[in-house]
Amino acid sequence: MPHLAVRDVRAKYGTLEVLHGISLSIEAGEIAALVGPSGSGKSTVLRALMGLTPITGGDVMIAGERMDYSSARAVRTARDRMAIVFQQYNLFQNMTVMRNVTLAPTKIKGWSKAEVGAEAMRLLALVGLSEKADAYPDQLSGGQQQRVALARALALKPQILLLDEVTSALDPELVNEVLDAVRKLAAEGMTMVIVSHEMGFVREVANKVVFMDGGEVIESGSPEDLFNAPKTNRARNFFSKIIRH
Amino acid sequence: MNYRFQFGVVWDNFGALLEGALLTFQLGVIAFGGGALIGLVLASLKTYGPWLVRFLVDCYVVFITNTPALIQIYFLYFGLPEVGVRWSNEACLLIGLTLNAGAYLTLILRAGFLSVRITELEAGQTMGMSLIQQVRYVIMPHIAKSIYPALANFFIVVLVMGTSIGALIGVDELTGQAINLSTVNYRWLEYFTVVAGLYVVLTFIASIGLAYLGRWTFRVKAKIF
Ligand SMILES: Nc1ncnc2c1ncn2[C@@H]1O[C@H](COP(=O)(O)OP(=O)(O)OP(=O)(O)O)[C@@H](O)[C@H]1O
Ligand SMILES: [Mg+2]
Repeated sequence: MPHLAVRDVRAKYGTLEVLHGISLSIEAGEIAALVGPSGSGKSTVLRALMGLTPITGGDVMIAGERMDYSSARAVRTARDRMAIVFQQYNLFQNMTVMRNVTLAPTKIKGWSKAEVGAEAMRLLALVGLSEKADAYPDQLSGGQQQRVALARALALKPQILLLDEVTSALDPELVNEVLDAVRKLAAEGMTMVIVSHEMGFVREVANKVVFMDGGEVIESGSPEDLFNAPKTNRARNFFSKIIRH
Repeated sequence: MNYRFQFGVVWDNFGALLEGALLTFQLGVIAFGGGALIGLVLASLKTYGPWLVRFLVDCYVVFITNTPALIQIYFLYFGLPEVGVRWSNEACLLIGLTLNAGAYLTLILRAGFLSVRITELEAGQTMGMSLIQQVRYVIMPHIAKSIYPALANFFIVVLVMGTSIGALIGVDELTGQAINLSTVNYRWLEYFTVVAGLYVVLTFIASIGLAYLGRWTFRVKAKIF
């Protein structure tokens, strides 16, 4: 049984349908990478999975369980199974790093403060930010903030982690520190769906590449297949443009 | 200028003035606190409520902010007895001031609500926060910080301008006390000079207290004056 199975999902912003039936599936511990031109709907897929953009059709199954997006209350199950890291980090600016990481586990999940605190320190160490626990987001670099966002998402112990272009807002010299943290997670066997323009990184960590355009999946398969021998013209055009840089 | 200042009589009654100052301070704090509570509820309703509720909030705010506080308090003071409700002068002043502050604070807090970054709210939602939890953990801390200076300024307004209306309906706060005392021996200028000084001391203490509170709790670098 796939860990995450998305079947024919449609999503709308207001009256504008931007996902016209998206399907993808990954096994536990696998990483799927969504790639495609700007505006193709990659972020919307992740937002729809998290219940931020309304789903108007199709199914999302996690470990065989159907996710319900019909109400604010029902959607909490999906939000319990998955966590997302946004391109712009979206940290709580008025809270310290530590509070950003521990707020939801203690206040929303009601987990024990001591355990959450210890876990937060472990996660901050994992992303290399142990010494920044008491700093505020505006005192950190973009790469550091993004790593805090990663730790914050992991503190909720998600089964599946969604990463939306976690390096595209960063200066080139900061990209690697964030990618390193993601590599560690991959090594730990975290199931992930990532949106990324770092093709080298995608080739390295992804088990499956999903090429999207115009709100549809055009082609998907292993990184080798898509990068080296794309079957569709659109995919071929896209990869030939991207990989040249 | 031929007027000869004689402060002796003022010093004799300084204790009474201090009592007035204390009452002024208490009235200011309670009216502001109650107003902040009203403001928080109404600003939430204005942001998340159905249209009828939003409309009613607007009516309240427009009515209060477009009429003088004195008139509103007179309504309670002269109006309520006509319908058989008897409140003390202090209660009329306090309720009037609180309702008045509530409208202004609704406006201030509403601006704070609007300044919350949508990205932080979305982060909160994806972490499983309910609407109430978003208000409590994301919106409130953000508002507290971003509108703190406006809140602190408004507290001073309530403390100085708001409470002194009490003098007109027989509440012995600082201004009222000064009027009472000076009608006895006609040393108006002396009393009001000292009272002005007391107001400055009061607002100075409040400003310093607020600046430190802001600095420690919200990391706001507030200027004192
Ligand atoms: N809040 C919104 N309201 C209306 N339309 C939106 C909104 N956000 C995105 N869209 C539209 O939805 C489509 C898909 O956008 P999406 O952000 O998912 O693309 P993307 O593949 O993530 O692009 P990028 O690589 O630039 O991040 C685009 O056509 C975009 O214009
Ligand atoms: Mg995007």
